[in-house]
Amino acid sequence: MTTMTLTREAAVRAPRRMAGFWPTSPALMLLTVFFVAPVLGLLLRSVLEPQPGLQNYVEVFGSTTYLRVFVNTFVVATIVTVVTLMLAFPVAWFLAVAPRRWASLLFAVILLSMWTNLLTRTYAWMVLLQRTGIINKTLMGWGLIASPLPLINNLTGVTVGMTYIMLPFMVLPLQSTIRSLDPATFRAASLCGANRLQVFTRVFLPLAVPGIGAGVLMVFVMSLGYFVTPALLGGTSNMMLAELIAQLVQSLLNWGLAGAAALILLVVSLGIYAVQFRFFGFKAAGEVE
Amino acid sequence: MTRPFLSIRNIEKTYGRVVAVQDVSLDIAQGEFVTFLGPSGSGKSTTLYAIAGFLQPTRGDVLLGGKSLLSVPSNKRNIGMVFQRYTLFPHLSVADNVAFPLRVRRQPKAEIDAKVAAMLKLVRLETMADRMPAQMSGGQQQRVALARALAYDPPILLMDEPLSALDKKLREEIQIEIKRIHNETGVTILYVTHDQEEALRLSDRIALFNAGRIEQLGTGHDLYEKPASRFVAGFIGNSNFLHGKLSRSDRSITLPDGTAIQGVALDKVGPGQGDVSIMIRPDHFRLHNGEAAPRLVGTVTDTTYLGEYTQLTVLTAWGGALSVRLPPDDRASPVEKGQSIALTCAPLDVRAF
Ligand SMILES: Nc1ncnc2c1ncn2[C@@H]1O[C@H](COP(=O)(O)OP(=O)(O)O)[C@@H](O)[C@H]1O
Ligand SMILES: [Mg+2]
Repeated sequence: MTTMTLTREAAVRAPRRMAGFWPTSPALMLLTVFFVAPVLGLLLRSVLEPQPGLQNYVEVFGSTTYLRVFVNTFVVATIVTVVTLMLAFPVAWFLAVAPRRWASLLFAVILLSMWTNLLTRTYAWMVLLQRTGIINKTLMGWGLIASPLPLINNLTGVTVGMTYIMLPFMVLPLQSTIRSLDPATFRAASLCGANRLQVFTRVFLPLAVPGIGAGVLMVFVMSLGYFVTPALLGGTSNMMLAELIAQLVQSLLNWGLAGAAALILLVVSLGIYAVQFRFFGFKAAGEVE
Repeated sequence: MTRPFLSIRNIEKTYGRVVAVQDVSLDIAQGEFVTFLGPSGSGKSTTLYAIAGFLQPTRGDVLLGGKSLLSVPSNKRNIGMVFQRYTLFPHLSVADNVAFPLRVRRQPKAEIDAKVAAMLKLVRLETMADRMPAQMSGGQQQRVALARALAYDPPILLMDEPLSALDKKLREEIQIEIKRIHNETGVTILYVTHDQEEALRLSDRIALFNAGRIEQLGTGHDLYEKPASRFVAGFIGNSNFLHGKLSRSDRSITLPDGTAIQGVALDKVGPGQGDVSIMIRPDHFRLHNGEAAPRLVGTVTDTTYLGEYTQLTVLTAWGGALSVRLPPDDRASPVEKGQSIALTCAPLDVRAF
C-alpha cells in the first residue's frame, strides 16, 4: 500500500518523493540495527573466522555431508511446494467461486490457523503422527495396519507439517488471482467446444499463472530456510540447511561455517526471487493480497 | 414456415421465488435475425443462456432441427456466442483466439490456418492476427469475438448486448458489420439489446421482453405501428399517452376537453367501457385544416427546428403536455411559441389500451 502511494505520487510530482519516505525511517532503523547489521556480521565472520580467507566455503562445498544437507533442503522444499500447490488449488478455487458465506467461513479457518502459534501447531502434528499417536492408533484399531506407520522423524512428517504451515501462503495469492478472472471467459471457452479438462488446461491454468508463480515462490523460498517444523518432525538423516546452521552455531560454536551456509541460503533465495521478478514482474513477486 | 429451425417452447426459469423468465415461446426460421429487446432485468439473457446451455430452464424445451438441446452440454451444442463483456482469452493472440474452437476440435493445422485467415478477413482484422487482446480497442475485441464464434460454422449465433460498452458512433459502425456478416454467412442470429434503435436497424423480427415474458413478437413495423400493449407502445418509439372515455355505443373515445375521436381500433381494449388509455405517436399529428376531423386545441410552449421535422411541445386545455412532430409541409407558416394550435390525426393512428 505504501509503495503504491509512493509510485503514484512519484509519477505526479517527483520533488515530493522523499516526503513519503521519512515516516518509514523508524522501521528501517529497527531493521538496520537488529536485522541487517547482525546478518552482515554473520556473513563477515564467514570470511574472517577462524582466519581471513575462503576456507569455510571450501569446506561447505567440499564435504559430502554438507552437500547432502543442501540437496535434502531442495528436495524437501520442492516436495512441500508441489504438495502445497496441489492442496491449495481446490481451496483457492472454492474461496473464489463459493457463495460469500461459505467462502468467508473457510477464509476465517485459514486465517485462524495462520494466527495460531507455530510451535503449538507443530506439536499438534507430533501428537497426531507419532508411533502411539491418534492416526496410528486408529488405523491399528480398525485392523488396517499391524504395526505403527513411520509418520514422524522422516520426510513424511516434515512434508505433512510444512505443507500445513505453508498452505495459507499458497492459497492467498492463488485465490486473489482466481477471483479476478471473469467466469464469462470460461463460458465462452465451453461454448467454443472445450470440455472441462480443456477449459482448465487451456484457459484457467494459463490465466492462474501469476497467482501460481507468487504462491510457489513464497512457499519455496520460505521452505528453504525453514527451521522449527523440520527440527521437530524431521529425522536426523534428512537435516535441512537451517537446522545445520543452528547446529553449527549452538552446538559446534562454528560461526564461520554457519555464516558461509547462511550466505549460500541467502544468495539462492534472492536468486530465485530475481528469476521470479524477471518473469512475473513486481506484482507476482511482491503481492499476497 | 415449415418445421421451425430453432424452437423455444414455454421456457420458464425461477430462482427461488424470483421468476426470471416465464412461458417464453418462439419459433425461429433458418437464417433469420431475431432480436430480444427489453428493459434490463426482463429475462433476455436468461432465455439466451438457456439456449447456450449455461442454465437449465425450470420448465420448457429448446429444440434445434426438431431435437431437444437441453440434455446436450454447452460444449457439444456447437452454438456461437458473443458476450456483453470482453471474453477473448487474454493469454492468446487474436489468431490463437479464433483458432481456439478449431484446436479443441482437433482439426488439422492447415484447415485451422485457412479458417482463421478467412474469419479475420470476414471481420476485417487480417492485419491484427498477432496482436494480443489487451492491445486492441473494445470494438476490435468484439469483432475478434465474432470471428471466434463463427469459426466453427455454428448453426446459431447468440449475441448478448455485444455493443453496449461501445460509444454510439462505433456501435453503428459495427451494427453495419454485423448486418453484412449476417448476409454473407446466412447464420441464424439471436441478438439481445435494450436499445430499440439497434433492434429496429438489425432485425427481421423483434421479441419485446417485459418482466420475464414476451410482450410482443413481430417486425419492427408491427411493433411500432400495431403495438399489442401499452408497454410496447411506450417502449418502442416516442408516444403520447392520454386518458379518454370509451363509449361502446358509437365506438368513440372522448378526450378530457370533449374532443371525440371516432373509428378507433378497439381490439386491445378489454370488454366494457369507461376509462381507457390512448396512445398517439408524435409524428402522427397534423395541423387541423378545417376538415371534419377531431380537433384538438392547445398552446405551443416550445418549438425546436430539426430540419427534417419540427418538434413541438403543446399544452392541452386539460393541462397535459403533448410531444408533436410536424412534417415540413405542415410548417409553411412557422409555428411560434405561445401560439394556439389545432391538431388532428387519423383515427387509425390512435391506439386504445
Ligand atoms: N442467478 C440469479 N439468481 C437470482 N435471480 C436472477 C439470477 N439471474 C437472473 N436473475 C433475475 O432474473 C431476471 C432476468 O434477468 P436477465 O435475464 O439477466 O435480464 P436481462 O438480460 O433482460 O437484463 C432479473 O430480474 C434478475 O434479477
Ligand atoms: Mg442481460
